[in-house]
Amino acid sequence: MAANLLIRHVLLAVVLATAVPLVAGAASPTPPPRCDDATFLRRATLDLIGRQPTPDELDAFVASRSSSKRTDLVNRLLADPAWATNWSRYFRDVIFYRRSDDRVILMARSLETFLSGHLAQPVARWDDIAREMITALGAPTEHGETAIIMAQMGETSDITAEVSRVFTGIQIQCAQCHDHFTDRWKRNQFHELAAFFPRVEIKRTSSDGPNQFEVVSRDLGRRGRGMKADNPRRGDLEHEMPDIDDPAKPGTVMQPKFFLTGHTLPLGTSDQERRETVARLITSEDNPWFARAIVNRVWTELVGDGFYDGIDDLGPDREPRFPEQLDELCRKFVTADHDLKALFRAVMATHAYQAKARPRTDASREIGGTSCPQRLRADQLFSQVMLALGIDEEAITARFGKQQGGARKLTSTPRGAFNQVFGYDPGLPRDEIAGSIPQALLLMNGKALARALDGNRPTLLGRVLREETDDRAVADELHVRTLARHATPAEIAVCLAHVRATGDRAEAFEDIFWALINSAEFIYRK
Amino acid sequence: MPTPMPSRRDLLRLISAAGAAACIPPFAEAVSLHAADLKKRGKACILLWMSGGPSQFETFSPLENHKNSGGTKAIATSVPGMQFAEYWPQAASVADHLAVIRSMTSKEGSHPRASYLLHTGYLPNPSARHPALGSIVASQLATRDAGETGDLPPIVRIGGRDRGDSGGGLLGRQWDPFDLRDATASPDNTVPPVPADRHMRRLGLMEQLGSGFAKSLPQEAADHAGLYRRATTMILSPSMAAFDVDAEPEAVRAEYGEGSFASGCLLARRLIEHGVSCVEVVSNGWDTHQDNFEKVKDLAGEVDRPYAALIRDLERRGMLDDTLVIWMGEFGRTPQVNPRGGRDHFPRSFNAVLAGGGVAGGAVVGRTDKAGVEVADRPVTVPDLFATFCKSMGIDPTIENMASSGRPIKLVDGGEAVHELF
Repeated sequence: MAANLLIRHVLLAVVLATAVPLVAGAASPTPPPRCDDATFLRRATLDLIGRQPTPDELDAFVASRSSSKRTDLVNRLLADPAWATNWSRYFRDVIFYRRSDDRVILMARSLETFLSGHLAQPVARWDDIAREMITALGAPTEHGETAIIMAQMGETSDITAEVSRVFTGIQIQCAQCHDHFTDRWKRNQFHELAAFFPRVEIKRTSSDGPNQFEVVSRDLGRRGRGMKADNPRRGDLEHEMPDIDDPAKPGTVMQPKFFLTGHTLPLGTSDQERRETVARLITSEDNPWFARAIVNRVWTELVGDGFYDGIDDLGPDREPRFPEQLDELCRKFVTADHDLKALFRAVMATHAYQAKARPRTDASREIGGTSCPQRLRADQLFSQVMLALGIDEEAITARFGKQQGGARKLTSTPRGAFNQVFGYDPGLPRDEIAGSIPQALLLMNGKALARALDGNRPTLLGRVLREETDDRAVADELHVRTLARHATPAEIAVCLAHVRATGDRAEAFEDIFWALINSAEFIYRK
Repeated sequence: MPTPMPSRRDLLRLISAAGAAACIPPFAEAVSLHAADLKKRGKACILLWMSGGPSQFETFSPLENHKNSGGTKAIATSVPGMQFAEYWPQAASVADHLAVIRSMTSKEGSHPRASYLLHTGYLPNPSARHPALGSIVASQLATRDAGETGDLPPIVRIGGRDRGDSGGGLLGRQWDPFDLRDATASPDNTVPPVPADRHMRRLGLMEQLGSGFAKSLPQEAADHAGLYRRATTMILSPSMAAFDVDAEPEAVRAEYGEGSFASGCLLARRLIEHGVSCVEVVSNGWDTHQDNFEKVKDLAGEVDRPYAALIRDLERRGMLDDTLVIWMGEFGRTPQVNPRGGRDHFPRSFNAVLAGGGVAGGAVVGRTDKAGVEVADRPVTVPDLFATFCKSMGIDPTIENMASSGRPIKLVDGGEAVHELF
């Protein structure tokens, strides 16, 4: 980690010194070499709709002579409902991995519905998503937009931290107890921002289970009537900055003030007006960090690393790499009414995105300027396994639900159980995301997978073996279904040798299919 | 054909050399060597987690002559003057190994938040996912290499799935616990669906077919190969026999008694013997808002015997000095009995019990007032408790890890070890 940072900083210095801009569309002296069509197809399909391309999609794309085929592909995938599903799951992870309470998982479905509802629009407005999440009210199972508030169980300071992190990319909560050590933020600025949120309350209803909560505004009376004075859950209608030296003393009452633009509201303002105001201030064109945060996030996810070192740790005291390209993308995004689809289109048209992947550890790679490989997110990998093995997700979900009884548990779907093993916090630095032993065990030995790999049953493999007598063609087809590329002659030779050595055709191809499903190439996207 | 595996010493040498080459500050090297040192002495930790918040009054802090006792009687223990609640006769017989802290205090009365607090030493906070005790201990005791951690996963959790309070957090997923639904079921996905020789052939095929990928992305390929090597080493290891509690002699099984918690305690001992650094055994149902007395009586019936058997067993095998056994939950329960015969959440004063790991047995730390409400002497905060765990395990609590925000997070946030226990 330390060495890595050091290398990064040295590289950054070199990059800045040579000042080679990689502006989208502009002529860069030596643009990185483009990846081949099959690689681009797999990369874009996984990135946008969360699965690998099918054999037909592969052949059609590679055969196409159209000069605009990459652009056309991106446009087609952005219009696919699976794009909305895939990215709603991504933003679910962004919010849920920072949860303070596991019960928020019960609203996963309503959050995904809320997000995909917006993402599936012809113009997928990020400012609408932000505004609705910041001003959310209602029962979490009906109103997915309450997720940030629910994930922090209504705690004023934690909601403040998360709204700032997710929508401005500024980790102002570092200034909660002291002035920020490395950035300009002062302690009172955090608490002035928190002053937009003290009247958000989570009401418990009498019903049990997922419907037991409701996000409400509390504009009258004191919260927590009957609570003892030292109960940390007790609060008043205004936010108080605690006295650091003596937390038992009453704190300083804070007036709402937005740290990035300086706008204020008077004390006594209603909850809805406070939150509508701060939502407007955050999403306003006067606040460049709203666009920068999401542009840096999407760039990091698609290219492999970002303009800033942290995916959600930006701010005026950090130097971005390729600032002209960042500004250009922000301008396009804002001009397009904060349309996420327009942003994806712009990022995916750049040389950086379309480049041949270079290892993260390659010292000659420009960080943030050339695509680099990433581990698939759990949802992508799950969909990829389902498609490769020809498993119908809906059918196994129905069976699984019956076995588990009820849908309340975190792991009550096959996808949920898989995510539990393979999921990771999208906020983590990419070079720190490591695989785990249970992940390897699941792919190697999972019972459902072993059943689906059986070449003597009516599985996908069983069908291929029955219909295709040429072992060469079977070996190639298994490569195409898993890795979305044709096998090389050397790989075909390895497979044929294995078939010969094994003697049993079904057994040999089970082994080959297993090896492909477990391969590093399957788990990464280049 | 196969290259011989480097020995642990070779690996350490390689790691130090790589560290020097990559300008890793010398302290990182020092820490990893220190960790190797600890592992040699076989330090380990077992957490008996009473999920829901156990009543202090019906366990190890009985009240006498006060209406808040709710009628629970106190019994004598093997230590003169030290009394437990009547439901714990077996634990009472090993009290000379137990150190009861009766003055635990915190402010967090919500299950998930308090559970996170008592597992990590920190309150949940969106800016960092704090590593749980097991991950802290295991990562300090081991490095990522199989040569360091032994064949089995370094952290095992029994009976506590689906909870978000005990993972590797910012240390990474490799420090997440290996989960077992219960101690008598074989662990998930550890039996290859094919015979071992075919499994090895499959791995060979995987490597051959992966050579193209490895040429273009050597680091990713090496990480992946290492992971599969560790996973395979584990499932084909003779140490996997440790998971089979049925292999234990009848007399020992009888001593631990019946039930899933009993099997969990016995399995914990077997795993520690096979080099696992940390095992958490979960007992559920301690959230006794109603019928507190009946429920705790039943729960104690499941926990008391195996708890005492575990202490005796570790002692007999000479493992107790190096194994810290912690009994605790997320908070205590209200001194006043509610109208439903229950006790509600009460973080203001509660208890925790330590044994082994160099902790002086037969000790009582702190006390509350006669009504069991306020801590009257020697308050112990959660960071104090975590500093105590670190002291027992020989871990420096001020070691810092980086959160993704770039903020350094100490293993323990302040706090002073309860020095009178050592």
